[in-house]
Amino acid sequence: MEYLIANFVQLDLSTSLQVVLLGFIGGVLSGFIGSGGAFFMTPGMMNLGITGVVSVASNITHKFGKAMVGSHKHGKAGNVDKKLALFMLITAVIGIQIAVGINSFLFKGGAGHGAAKGAGANLYISLVFAVILSVVALSMMKDVLGSSRSGDDSDSGPSRKIANAMAKITIPPVIHFKVADTSVSLWVLLPCGIATGYLAGTIGVGGFIGVPAIIYVFGVPTAVAAGTELYLAMFMGAYGALSYAYQGFVDIRLTMLLYLGSLVGIYLGVYGVKVVNEKYIRMVTSIIILLCVVSRAIAIPMYLRQLGMVSFDASYDVYFSGFSKFFLFASGISGCLVILFNVGRSYIQRRRIQKTLLVVNPDG
Amino acid sequence: MSIVLMSGPAHGMTRVLAKKLADETGWPLYSRDQLAEEAHAQGIKLGRLEASIIKSPIISERLAWEKEVYLSFVTDVLYKKIKDNNLVYTGRAAHLLFPGVENIFRVGVSVPIETRVDIVAQQLNLSPEKALDYLKSLDADIIKWVHYVHRADLRDTSNYDLLLNLEHLNLSHATSLLKQTALLPEFDLTPDSRSHLEDVHLAARATLHLALNKETSHLSLGVRASGKILTVTYLPRQKDVAESISKVLGTLEECKGTICTMAETNILYLSEHFDPRSEDFQQITQLAKRWGAAVELIRLIPPKDGKPFFQEAAALEPRTGDSTYTGGVEDDGPEVETDDGGLSATIEELVAMGRSAGGYTIAGGQREVINALRDTENYSLIILGDLFLSKGPQASIRLTRELGMAINERLKTPVIRIEELQSQFLFGKKQALKLLLFTLVVVAIYTLVFSFQKPILDFLGGELHEKWRWASSIAVALFVPLVAYTYGTIAGLILKLVNID
Repeated sequence: MEYLIANFVQLDLSTSLQVVLLGFIGGVLSGFIGSGGAFFMTPGMMNLGITGVVSVASNITHKFGKAMVGSHKHGKAGNVDKKLALFMLITAVIGIQIAVGINSFLFKGGAGHGAAKGAGANLYISLVFAVILSVVALSMMKDVLGSSRSGDDSDSGPSRKIANAMAKITIPPVIHFKVADTSVSLWVLLPCGIATGYLAGTIGVGGFIGVPAIIYVFGVPTAVAAGTELYLAMFMGAYGALSYAYQGFVDIRLTMLLYLGSLVGIYLGVYGVKVVNEKYIRMVTSIIILLCVVSRAIAIPMYLRQLGMVSFDASYDVYFSGFSKFFLFASGISGCLVILFNVGRSYIQRRRIQKTLLVVNPDG
Repeated sequence: MSIVLMSGPAHGMTRVLAKKLADETGWPLYSRDQLAEEAHAQGIKLGRLEASIIKSPIISERLAWEKEVYLSFVTDVLYKKIKDNNLVYTGRAAHLLFPGVENIFRVGVSVPIETRVDIVAQQLNLSPEKALDYLKSLDADIIKWVHYVHRADLRDTSNYDLLLNLEHLNLSHATSLLKQTALLPEFDLTPDSRSHLEDVHLAARATLHLALNKETSHLSLGVRASGKILTVTYLPRQKDVAESISKVLGTLEECKGTICTMAETNILYLSEHFDPRSEDFQQITQLAKRWGAAVELIRLIPPKDGKPFFQEAAALEPRTGDSTYTGGVEDDGPEVETDDGGLSATIEELVAMGRSAGGYTIAGGQREVINALRDTENYSLIILGDLFLSKGPQASIRLTRELGMAINERLKTPVIRIEELQSQFLFGKKQALKLLLFTLVVVAIYTLVFSFQKPILDFLGGELHEKWRWASSIAVALFVPLVAYTYGTIAGLILKLVNID
């Protein structure tokens, strides 16, 4: 890839359009499931030949503005609990610092074995990613499938087991969150916020952890969880954008191209939350997460080899890497298509129903 | 006829006080325990509902319907007791039952926590510390229950007609005070309040009828009654059973008719006057069509002779009309026209469009509106029209703003003024102009950035950046939200234009 200046590559029309497409897919996923979509866009840009650090920096800068628009949209629908976001932000910062500390230690060769620099951190990140997201996705899926089997056609809402257990913990101070309409003990909130921050700092997908935590542990409705997480992401994104811009890694062109796609996508995603059954939202989310887990899991043998823990020909790395990317893109693209299909179907259905309104008059 | 609804803290002597009042007045006494037994006998799982609401903060659509069924059951049972009799009822948040019905005596009882601790310690053989913990936990559960079931706060004194503090008042004097107040003419049901009570009861019976019928028991519906006409709101996915609703309710006694309206959601429009030909009304129906919503109208007028009241819309009255053939010869007598501020005509228009969720008039202020709305289903939007006009323009603006804040606080629903509707939710000329302007700005920004890539990137990460690191990061932090906002607005307006919002 030809460089225009310093860390910034020359962008042709084809690359630019692909960045717009990446933004669109990330935006739809972000609006629909409340995650930042970074899990899809950052590796996507790296795949186009943009360096990792510039991809991360441009994406986090883009996330800042996008989260601002998204949370404003959610806010208008009454889906943002600013107080909850503030508490999550304060506690998440502690978690991020812990994560940064561990990652830095492993990146410098803390994993031992005289391994290649960074491989220890990569393995650690992939393992945390695979384990945590598997648990989240499988419990989400079990919950959805369980309610389907019980024949309950109504929107039964997410499982209340964890929220019920947590509701029993009433150690003061118990904080009431007005918009989310729930009360949570600070002693429940604190570890959840730290864990969210730690995982956001470790695997870079705060939304994937923050949203399920808010739904399942605090018992907040899905739409409020997604809106609140986007509001939280706005502040975390601002912090990231300032830091990376100071280091000189933000490619504003990439940020602007991502916006062209993502800001349309996010509106469609948020619309999807309104028109698609909540059970379906959770089913799609869990499938997308599981595909991401498969993508990460495929890369693990590569890191194990780099650490000298298993041995096989280094030329196989390209296959592991290729399959990993395939699953990542498959998760993003298929998730996006499923969401768009449902949004389109609901839109058409709504129009059709409006033409067949049944009015039974008093004398009828 | 007098109805006394008494509410107080658990283990707080309210029942003792209620019994003394019943003994002194000779009025029948009924308690929540008896109600719970009756609910159990009729197959209503009150325990499960309590556990679901108290132990879980997640409220599903189904649970909301179960709550409606429970409240309807309570209303039905109590109505049968009070149909032609006086009644003293005591129970959890009893004062919040029959919301909006005037001339019911709603009493609150306050008891010092120390007294309650002594009572619990004796009754349950607990140490004072454990009794206190038990009461704290119980009170928290009850607050949760009341918050969800009645959408109210027990500590809100505006919901009581009389709040008795038993700290320094003995039971005999408290009973005497209660008796004297209960016998005041203000707490004797008037024909208007009785008619309202009958409507509340009809809606409750309809809800129970639908919940107990196999064909409709699985549905989650919005049911209300006005002038003995039922309005049932159902969701689009329930459209196949809409006819079953009418069939099931057809057997309901004293029901003059049923209006079924399909709606994904409800919009509430509060105003002092309505005009089905006005631009405001067109905008509301436009939004209702787009959202698949039903529109409910409330006409809010100043209380007449200082007295608040509630009145159903004439449009919902059945067209009984004299069926005698007149050969076209009509009476010469003057036509009796009632001025309802265009409410009936507007409802008729909404009924014709299949968008009506009913309507009524409230004479009063903020408190009466909150009381009327407390027991209704969730609205997705509440629109405030011209209100408090008699107070003058400045006061009208302030009072409308305060009403909006109070409703928003209580119902957790977005509240806007009618003037904001176009800019917030609809696409008109102003939005077209905005779209054009913002598009020009965005095109200019993108053209500039992509035409001068080198110097800009140099400032962001090249040699120039080394000299201006802070300026570079501040520029990014300011520029990015600008791009996101302008382009985000364009994206939002375009999607609004094609009805995807």
